[in-house]
Amino acid sequence: MEELLFIRQDVLPALLRGLRISLMLIIPSGLCGFALGVFVGALRVYGSPWVKRLTNGYVIIFRGFPLVVQLFIWYFGLPHIGIYLTPFLASVLGFTLCSAAYHSEYVRGAFQSIKGGQRLAAQALGFTKLEMIRTIILPQAFRRAVPGCGNELIYLIKYSSLAYMITCIELTGEGKVIASETFKYTEIFFMVGLIYLLLTSLATLSLRRIEDKLRIPGFDNYNP
Amino acid sequence: MRAMGEQKEVLKVEKVTKKYASKEVVKEASLAVNEGEIKVLIGPSGGGKSTLLQCINFLVTPDKGRIWLEGKEVLHSQKKNLYEYRQKVGMIFQDFNLFDHLTALGNVEIALLKVRKMTKKDARDRAVAELERVGLRDHIRKYPAQLSGGQKQRVSIARALAMDPKVMLLDEPTSALDPELITEVHAVIKALGAEGMTMVMATHQIGFASHLADEMLFMEDGIIVETGAPAKLLLQAEYARTREFCAKLTGRYGETR
Repeated sequence: MEELLFIRQDVLPALLRGLRISLMLIIPSGLCGFALGVFVGALRVYGSPWVKRLTNGYVIIFRGFPLVVQLFIWYFGLPHIGIYLTPFLASVLGFTLCSAAYHSEYVRGAFQSIKGGQRLAAQALGFTKLEMIRTIILPQAFRRAVPGCGNELIYLIKYSSLAYMITCIELTGEGKVIASETFKYTEIFFMVGLIYLLLTSLATLSLRRIEDKLRIPGFDNYNP
Repeated sequence: MRAMGEQKEVLKVEKVTKKYASKEVVKEASLAVNEGEIKVLIGPSGGGKSTLLQCINFLVTPDKGRIWLEGKEVLHSQKKNLYEYRQKVGMIFQDFNLFDHLTALGNVEIALLKVRKMTKKDARDRAVAELERVGLRDHIRKYPAQLSGGQKQRVSIARALAMDPKVMLLDEPTSALDPELITEVHAVIKALGAEGMTMVMATHQIGFASHLADEMLFMEDGIIVETGAPAKLLLQAEYARTREFCAKLTGRYGETR
């Protein structure tokens, strides 16, 4: 009884507070990361040689550095050059840039999977390059990229927990605080884990929905 | 074949050359097509027919040569000039190249909307009309994957026609089709010819082509070896190589006349 009361009065409010912060980290990072990823992915396929080199370099660095290290750089490093970010902003920036690097890889693959003949057909009709990418290639590439990019979103939900390393107290952070006050590590982190599982399950379900909505006969594993 | 009225030159190609590595795939190819004329390129595979057609609308940039449409030279290095020119040159590909994410209707509509900037309603009406013209009224809502090869090629013809091309380039339009589907595409092309569409077509379907063509061009190793009326080229070609090629084809495809 006492236990239940403790959970209701102390644990749940703290975890919900943390969950709110987590969602505030995940949603903008997910959206901006995806948008930037599509942009970078497109540049890596259709950019000039110089642009390709630049964007490829970006991906190498942001996929190669551990995310925690990237967060440390944004939060602890930038003040040395006079830029002060709040823990929250540093986290969103770190997640967005890292996530975009991964997204761009899925998007690049998707762009490259679109048959070259369709490009020729669009050109032959008088499409400008930009209009062709926007209306012919992107809608198809987007569909091909959804499964991979969805995977990246699932990762993001979980690696958002790293924000507490730079003092942005989100779900994991709140859990850590209560756990160290009460020494109920197992119970509390189990609950924290379950909440992440809930989030990833919701994300998986909505991604399935999106995939179904976008499904077109003849694309991928469509079964009429 | 049509009676020759006043001759208006629609397309002129002068000494177009294309090299890949050190191999000249097209060597100084020249041709001129008058309004309503149908020219057919024949010759062995790998002879440069496809590359020549792609050079004509700069899908492949020729290394040398000049091209005129209705007396105006195409300045392909100026993007705007190039895009405008391409709108006036319809292109039909061997493997259709439909846009996989769009219905038959969407395939025809999209360039009207995005390139010609027509209103939604005008684009829709035009697209429906063109699809009806190629006999696909009942299939306008289908996606490419739900269409047969012959239907796909007819959609691609409708897509090109919707742009009001001055000339159509057809690159082996029936080579990827099953024999029983070829007829429906041939019927559409024939109808186009009867309506006076100016066309340059590469094909191996000699029988069909010889009925349609005003002139045939035999192309081998990147060179237009010989040009002439179908009867002359198929039966009394000047060059031994042309005779040999045509004899094989007419043998394979039956009677030509």
